[in-house]
Amino acid sequence: MSMAERQAVGGGAVRMPQRRNRRRLRQNIPYFILFTPIIVYFLLFKYAPMGGLVIAFKDYNFADGVFGSPWVGLGQFETLFSNPQTLRIIRNTFVLSVLALLIGFPFPILLAVLLNEVGRVWFKRGVQTLVYLPHFLSWVIVSGIVITIFSIEGVINNLFADWLGWSPIQFLYSEGSWLALFIGSGIWKGAGWGAIIYLAALSSIDPSLYESASIDGANKWKQIRHITLPGIAPTIVIVFILSVGNVMEVGFDQVYTLQNSAVFGISEVISTYTYKIGLQSLQFSLTSAMGLFESLIGLVLVLITNTIARRYGQGLW
Amino acid sequence: MKATRGEKLFYAVNYVVLGLIALSCLLPMVHIAAMSLSDAHHVASGHVVFWPLGWTTDAYTSLIEGSDIVNAFRNNVVLTVVGTALCMCCTVLAAYPLSRRDMYGRRLFTLAIIFTMLFTGGIIPNYLVIKGLGLIDSYGAIWLPALVSVFNMLVLKTYFESMQVEMEEAARIDGCSEWRLIAQIVLPLSVPVLAALTLFYAVAFWNQFMNVLIFMNDPAKYNLTVLVQQMVQSQSMMQDLNNLQPEDMANLTPETIKSAGVVVMLVPMLIVYPFLQKYFVKGVMIGAVKG
Repeated sequence: MSMAERQAVGGGAVRMPQRRNRRRLRQNIPYFILFTPIIVYFLLFKYAPMGGLVIAFKDYNFADGVFGSPWVGLGQFETLFSNPQTLRIIRNTFVLSVLALLIGFPFPILLAVLLNEVGRVWFKRGVQTLVYLPHFLSWVIVSGIVITIFSIEGVINNLFADWLGWSPIQFLYSEGSWLALFIGSGIWKGAGWGAIIYLAALSSIDPSLYESASIDGANKWKQIRHITLPGIAPTIVIVFILSVGNVMEVGFDQVYTLQNSAVFGISEVISTYTYKIGLQSLQFSLTSAMGLFESLIGLVLVLITNTIARRYGQGLW
Repeated sequence: MKATRGEKLFYAVNYVVLGLIALSCLLPMVHIAAMSLSDAHHVASGHVVFWPLGWTTDAYTSLIEGSDIVNAFRNNVVLTVVGTALCMCCTVLAAYPLSRRDMYGRRLFTLAIIFTMLFTGGIIPNYLVIKGLGLIDSYGAIWLPALVSVFNMLVLKTYFESMQVEMEEAARIDGCSEWRLIAQIVLPLSVPVLAALTLFYAVAFWNQFMNVLIFMNDPAKYNLTVLVQQMVQSQSMMQDLNNLQPEDMANLTPETIKSAGVVVMLVPMLIVYPFLQKYFVKGVMIGAVKG
């Protein structure tokens, strides 16, 4: 290809580019036969909903539909940022996602570093098999297990009562402990899986570095600090950018399956509110405005973190 | 090289910590299984930990006879098999043209697709589109919006791009058409990636929750996640324990049956887990190389 190109440009042949163009055109016919359904799919199911976001600037009603409903400008957003209830929901979305990100982020790294120090293959395999498993379980299973274990009659409360004589603690129904269970269950489900990418990065570190460090008298801690962590730093940065980009997407499944009416004050987030108030109470415009706000924040965060990362030569694009 | 005392201590602690972490992943599942196989009396007394007390399979019998779980299981299979097949076709349709360097508008299309990863319409506008297409209460509402996962598509596209160009050129010179090239060279050479992506999609469909909750109003269309979720959620009524009426009490799904519901969802996943682990990890690696 590139040879032909150079010849065509440098050799001054007039007919060559034309023939190439015709060949390229012919070549493109099968591509577009394959690709047309994909264009339709993305227009219909991805870009049409983006267009549907205009209802965030309208007062949607079923009779007039998306196009006929009256415009209200930024009216929905004014409601959104003046109503204490919606403000609390936006705050919850931020709090839950930022806490889950900040507290959860180091766990996969820690797990990968620990696994990397294991010499016995069977032990390493066994641990990996078990810690990857929760990733494949749906949130309904994970929350079902959490609710069963931590309920008032659950095994944790029974063990506390038997061993320590404590009276039952309402783990699921007080905000602080619910928050801990929320973050903890996220780590339980995701940390093992998140470690895979770091393990891949760790395997590319040159083993001779450890040997020479060891000969120079560096202990394990110093080796981890000065060889292991710098070795996986680029991966850490990339994973962090991706996580920050998803920060506003507190998983609907996780929150919805874990929450209960006693902790709505902390657990109601944009997606669950949209489902309950938007779809079930038909507040389409207000919740669309919330969704748009959520999407925009997410987009801005990705762009900012990527710009920062690019300054250190590690951007995604 | 001999391990120093500090190193020995480090390794010992490391093994213990990792062992505990691994157990913490396993034991909750063992506990749930033990609950589902114990009789209601022992469960209520709270002494069932990791071993069933008063062994009985009553919970499973009443689950199968008293709820729609068999139907939901069938729905799960239909959702997963058809959905995965559709998604794989469409992912190939998207990835192959975009992997060809001479495709018109290749960069533009790629960027337009990646943009949908960064910015979405959100729940309500999606709902309006699905409703507008008349897909409420049909599984089309679950399958169609998920036809191409951008991440999976990019993984496959990268893999197609990395294939040997010489082999293709040779096939072309021998008069191989584009279609034969795809069917007899490109796809057979991509089997490991295709297998990984198939599993990615299958797990996503098997665990699908939100879209079934939103788009399926007819309980006969519920899948396992939504059905089991409803059983588990009946517990959140417990916090109103003081003003609980006797008829509410009857609506509470007993603990053993709830546990059995969770186990029914858990077991198929455990059965296919050895395959999943092998191919998933490979799939993640391919994705990671791209990053």
